[in-house]
Amino acid sequence: MVRIPFKRLFLIIKMYPPQVGYFRPESLGEALEFLEREEAKVLAGGQSLIPMLKLRVLRPKYLVDIGGLKELSYIKEGDTISIGATTRHFELASRRIRGLEILQEAASKVGDVQVRNVGTIGGSVCNADPAADYPAVLTALDATMKVRSKKGTREVKAHDFFKGPFSVDLNPGEVLEEIRIPRLEGYRQTYRKVVRRAGDFALAGLALAIKLDSGVVKDVRIAFTGVSQGPHRAKEAEKVLRDSKLTKDVIKRASEASTSGANPPSDSRGSSWYRLEVMKRLLQTSLEVMANES
Amino acid sequence: MKVEPDQKVRINVKVNGVLHEAEVEPRKLLVDFLRDDLGLTGTKVGCDTTTCGACTILLDGRSVKSCTLLAVQAHGREITTIEGLSSDSKLSPVQEAFKDNFALQCGFCTAGMIVQATFLLSQKKDMTEEEIRDSIHGNICRCTGYQNIVNAIMDASRRMKA
Repeated sequence: MVRIPFKRLFLIIKMYPPQVGYFRPESLGEALEFLEREEAKVLAGGQSLIPMLKLRVLRPKYLVDIGGLKELSYIKEGDTISIGATTRHFELASRRIRGLEILQEAASKVGDVQVRNVGTIGGSVCNADPAADYPAVLTALDATMKVRSKKGTREVKAHDFFKGPFSVDLNPGEVLEEIRIPRLEGYRQTYRKVVRRAGDFALAGLALAIKLDSGVVKDVRIAFTGVSQGPHRAKEAEKVLRDSKLTKDVIKRASEASTSGANPPSDSRGSSWYRLEVMKRLLQTSLEVMANES
Repeated sequence: MKVEPDQKVRINVKVNGVLHEAEVEPRKLLVDFLRDDLGLTGTKVGCDTTTCGACTILLDGRSVKSCTLLAVQAHGREITTIEGLSSDSKLSPVQEAFKDNFALQCGFCTAGMIVQATFLLSQKKDMTEEEIRDSIHGNICRCTGYQNIVNAIMDASRRMKA
């Protein structure tokens, strides 16, 4: 899904994608071959791409439809969880992975049921909406993106992959093939977001993974969505929490520290200041729940 | 399969049990293919921005918003629209439940709501009110008549179990 600026909504009477060519490859190799030669955009589920075509934000010459490629749709479990780029949200939302429970929680909060039936994790990740759900999760968990082109394969850390709003580290001819996420066993994990109306993008969303040993924080990962140009890893808050007990005071200080470096936008759904308050409350209440449960 | 921007593409789509072969521009939206080319106008265009769910159809048995899919993406696949839910003018249990519970006001969202409810009940027979409300959040009723819609879906679930 794509957010349309309020003002533009009234200017649009009927939206239609521009004239575009279409290529449906039989394999990833064939897709890479085509992408090397032609000016094309990869189509997976299309739940962000098609609205963008309708808005004429993008005008590629061809669409390369990899949505039907079985070789890219899988979940493989090991010490690292490997997820094929065209794995659909509903498949992730219906599968509980030990040590990666947060992914199921995040996937089940993407868009709505219909969007989850078509949309893919790779599509959402490559679209890199600053308020999308997965980027925060992948940044918090230090995931790795496996990127393929005709020339070969390279790996990029989530932290480097998300470069800014709708901008990722993918060169022409490259396709995101797989997402690898380390299994965090013994971590309490949660993904929560605040939206004003059902179906809206998040005002702010929080991905949190925390490892406690007799009440003391051994490791913690915190990343927010919707509050910066890209996913915001709250390193300052992590520092406050590490090796501390989850007391009221520590939680309060961590929540305050979480906004350091964040730069939320102001728009019709919420001001920058309000989003900062939402961030703090999200982290505070999530940590309080974890403190009470441990 | 490769199609130039100014060319048309031949697609085979099974809609409500009938196989259709057609030539469409790659940019043609699935909802327009259904409404304009096949005349199946039960599926509505509401917001045209993936928000309202009036254009909801079943693609290979899963609910999708047909304003946000290209017709060519449905090539080789099976579609069910609101027209395909009833047979021999006998309403489906979900349609019956919507009728009996007065689950519509202006009726514009109804086709999408019924298709979505049909999908939800195909996945899970027993849903709580909260689950139903959460899983129809991609379907907007601008008359705000949600109470009877939720009642109807719960009623349909009871009928389908009986």
